Amino acid sequence: MHKDNRIKLLFLLPAVLWVLCFTIFPLIYSVRLSFFNVKIGSPDEFIGLRNYVHLFQDQRARSSALITLIFVCCGVAIQMTLGMALALLFNRPLRLRGILRTVMTMPLFATPIAVGFLFFTIFYEEGGLINGLLHLNVPWLSNPYWALASITIVDIWQWTPFCFLIFLAVLQGIPAHYYEAATLETNKGWSVFRFITLPILQPTIILVLLLRITEAFKVFDIPFTLTTGGPGTATQVLTMYAYRVGMRFFNYGYSSAISVFLFILVMVVIMTLFKKIRQTYQ
Amino acid sequence: MEALRTLKRRHISSWAYILLAIFVAAMTFLPFYWAISLSVRNPAEAFTVTGLAVPFVQYKPTLANWKTELATGETQKALVNSTIVAMCAALMTIVIATPAAYAIARFRFRRPSNGNIALWFLSQRVLPPVATAIPFFLIMRFLGLLDTHIALILLNTTFNLPIVVVIMRQAFIEVPIELEEAALVDGANHLDIFLMISVRLAAPSLAAAVLIVIAFTWNEFLFALMIGTIKAKVIPVHMAGAVDTRGVQFWFVAVRTLIAMTPPVIIALLAQRYIVRGLTFGAVKG
Repeated sequence: MHKDNRIKLLFLLPAVLWVLCFTIFPLIYSVRLSFFNVKIGSPDEFIGLRNYVHLFQDQRARSSALITLIFVCCGVAIQMTLGMALALLFNRPLRLRGILRTVMTMPLFATPIAVGFLFFTIFYEEGGLINGLLHLNVPWLSNPYWALASITIVDIWQWTPFCFLIFLAVLQGIPAHYYEAATLETNKGWSVFRFITLPILQPTIILVLLLRITEAFKVFDIPFTLTTGGPGTATQVLTMYAYRVGMRFFNYGYSSAISVFLFILVMVVIMTLFKKIRQTYQ
Repeated sequence: MEALRTLKRRHISSWAYILLAIFVAAMTFLPFYWAISLSVRNPAEAFTVTGLAVPFVQYKPTLANWKTELATGETQKALVNSTIVAMCAALMTIVIATPAAYAIARFRFRRPSNGNIALWFLSQRVLPPVATAIPFFLIMRFLGLLDTHIALILLNTTFNLPIVVVIMRQAFIEVPIELEEAALVDGANHLDIFLMISVRLAAPSLAAAVLIVIAFTWNEFLFALMIGTIKAKVIPVHMAGAVDTRGVQFWFVAVRTLIAMTPPVIIALLAQRYIVRGLTFGAVKG
């Protein structure tokens, strides 16, 4: 640490001001909008909690919230489990591991909107890749339940490698003598995993869980392109509903209420995981 | 005998691992392969060729779709727009975020503490972008910035600023402080030290951060869809619009998919060594 110096504020302030202007201010604006009835051409009308009352009575909002929760829970749970299993399996000297790691890096930054369109051709029911290759007749996109499964599968395809790479990185950082010492005591693979590997991995598991949950709640591009929220509204996640209410029906007040609700939902989930993650950064 | 048996078992299981590795890699790569395969097919063969669609065996590959798509003015414009926005956003983010990261890494803050400041930046990532979408749209409309590059650059700088602050803070912490202290003794000021010594020592992380910002900006869709519809149309918005108007033409969809994906995928491969660290905001060393 350098000695105290006023210049530290000069370094820090631009970024802080930027966040205040472009994140905190819009967020406050959003909360304000959610208490108003906003109509183009006439002044905003304060309506108190009426947008929120509407939100809790709105069948579509409720089903969107449910769809979002199912998508987040199933998707993240499967990604984490698969990623962990693969990381444990491939945490050994293996000539192919470098190649495997390289291939697994590819989906991470693949443009989500392009991924959505690409999987549209893959899930396409007649002549698409999966049904064609496996001689199946699964209604991937036209059946509400399969459509929800489809967007979850895309998320799993894109983000399992993320979990895998992080877990593998941590596993490789565990010094070999930990295991050597452990194998003197026991030769059961399970107890080595339970008492050595798992405690070391625990902060990482929470971290990955946290990162994946926050990102999964933001999902928009994949359902927007793959299913356009359909069939009907079967895959209309909360972000998409807020977008439609705001940008298609120009109901800015109600759209903001949905967004604020989504934000609170994410915060509640995150806060429960928050305390443990705090230690990693301090 | 016993030794031979374990040897044999180990041998078999190592084959099983290799097969599994190939299978996992194949599943991950399959969609990319499918996109490439679709993009070099004749439109007539997009639906008639089924299964794995092996080129040369099941159909004769052609570059016609690529030529048509790349010759389209709209596509070229979207590519140029995406490049401008991504480059400028990366530059802007680095200029604002790196000094802040340096301050948090090198100076002691009391209230709030350094850890809390870093956490405050990081917590911006929790906010779903859609929660600020409508206000952003209204603000940009008020400023007359709708459908401009500036709006998209401002926006992507905002999204990526916290990531870069956290990544670079970690990078500065890991750079030895002794050189900076020596320079201070020699009478250099903090700004010079920051620019001449610290940034240079942290250059690999900085490069990785730049690449990550470029990739994220390139991929950003929700705000680009709301703000940049005609003049400032970027690649993702161009893709979404094109499918609406042209119907489902898989061969063009595949070409566009690859045009959109290739730069960020290459970036991911380039930054491979730093990607785990970058995506966990420095918490896990890759």
